[in-house]
Amino acid sequence: MQQMSAEERKALEEKLKNMSPEELKEFQKQQCIFCQIIAGKVPSKKVYEDDQCLAVMDINPAAPGHLLLMPKEHYAIMPQIPDEVIGHLFAVTKHLSQSMLRKLRVEGTSVFVANGMAAGQRSQHFMVHIIPRKEEDGLLDVPEHLVELGLRESLAVKIENRMNQLMGIKKIRQKTLAEEKETEKKAERQAAEKGKPGVVQEVQAEPKQKDKQEEQAEEGTGAEKEEVSAPQKEKALARGTEKQKRNGTAEEPEEETEEPEEAQQRQTEESKDKPDKEEDDEKDKEDEEKGGPGVSLDDIADLFK
Amino acid sequence: MGCDYCEIAKGKISSEVVYEDDRCIAVVADMAFTPGQVRLFPKEHHTIMEMMPEALADHLFRIANKLSVALFESLGAQGTNIIIQNGTAAGQSIPHFCIDIVPREERDQLDFQWTPKQLLEEEMDTAYLSLKEEGEQLILGKEKKEEIVLKDKKTEMVVEKEDGDNYLLKQLRRVP
Repeated sequence: MQQMSAEERKALEEKLKNMSPEELKEFQKQQCIFCQIIAGKVPSKKVYEDDQCLAVMDINPAAPGHLLLMPKEHYAIMPQIPDEVIGHLFAVTKHLSQSMLRKLRVEGTSVFVANGMAAGQRSQHFMVHIIPRKEEDGLLDVPEHLVELGLRESLAVKIENRMNQLMGIKKIRQKTLAEEKETEKKAERQAAEKGKPGVVQEVQAEPKQKDKQEEQAEEGTGAEKEEVSAPQKEKALARGTEKQKRNGTAEEPEEETEEPEEAQQRQTEESKDKPDKEEDDEKDKEDEEKGGPGVSLDDIADLFK
Repeated sequence: MGCDYCEIAKGKISSEVVYEDDRCIAVVADMAFTPGQVRLFPKEHHTIMEMMPEALADHLFRIANKLSVALFESLGAQGTNIIIQNGTAAGQSIPHFCIDIVPREERDQLDFQWTPKQLLEEEMDTAYLSLKEEGEQLILGKEKKEEIVLKDKKTEMVVEKEDGDNYLLKQLRRVP
């Protein structure tokens, strides 16, 4: 980055504050050397180009043939990039790496991505480094350390929970919404049936209700076995309370006494099985409420402005 | 085969799995640059990236991106590195392709940076020219693929037509 005096910096900061998002994007593009390369305003040695990405020779190469592959759109870090572009970028990466192995007579290639300044990112434009490698060239030579099993496990829980939220949240919601609707409809039907007078109908309604409760119990235990993420567990618990409510409305006293006991048993079983996990989940929930310990992606992107 | 990662993918070796689908699996790495490093690899055995089908590479990197986001948000990482070591010369230690996603912090004092090499112009140019040639072929290769697809469509059409003829013929035969 250029060295600026304090006054210039202040003026620039104010200017940035007053800009609309579109203007800001345009400003970033003007400032970004790689956007200028893509636009053809700065000369470069292009190796590959299509409608989405561009690969050029690095002017500060780690080895002869070091390539930079970048999306044509300006993105600061990888999480901002849409999935299709990511997929395309790395499909091209694969081909470029292949051509390196074929043409440059190298023994291997390294693909390197840095997201954020903490990771050693120097440019404000996302890019993939593809570096031809030879034995003992001393590149990317960083010692690895053993991570203790206990630490690994606790990290795995945190990462998995977040990953499940990222990957599966839609599916889970769709499922549970559908289930909820179904149970609601059934409850309505039951209520309607119960509202009608007549001994026969009441007798018929009883076994139906029991079946349903068994089904729900199965669902509940199934969900617990799968080590589900926090929201699912919340849902499972919510289902439990729903059940209790419904039992409250049910006329038979026998069921009222049976069901809450079952629910309690299940809850205790759950807590026996995975006390650590639950605590972590609770911590995660708390973190979410507070806004999370994690740095938001926008914050990281902001570092480049 | 004796490949540890294949065994992990089959569930024969226990490990801290953070993500799994039908094509790939991600575990917390035991030997890592930083604690919390996630190792993502395909369930199918491929030694290096070049041997993988394009669709699998596409899928893997979408997942890698999501894992990177998960590391940002769950561990409070300030940055992530995505590193692929292709070939033993690049430091690959296990003969199963994998993508390392490394959570980074300002204070971790890791240095992946390289010192830029002062190369001779000739050296740069030969590398550039040979890669450029390949790059151009890459574009051609795509067009060729599209042509093949078109041909496939044509052959399908032909097959349909034949079916149609047969159908008509059958009808003709039935009429008398």
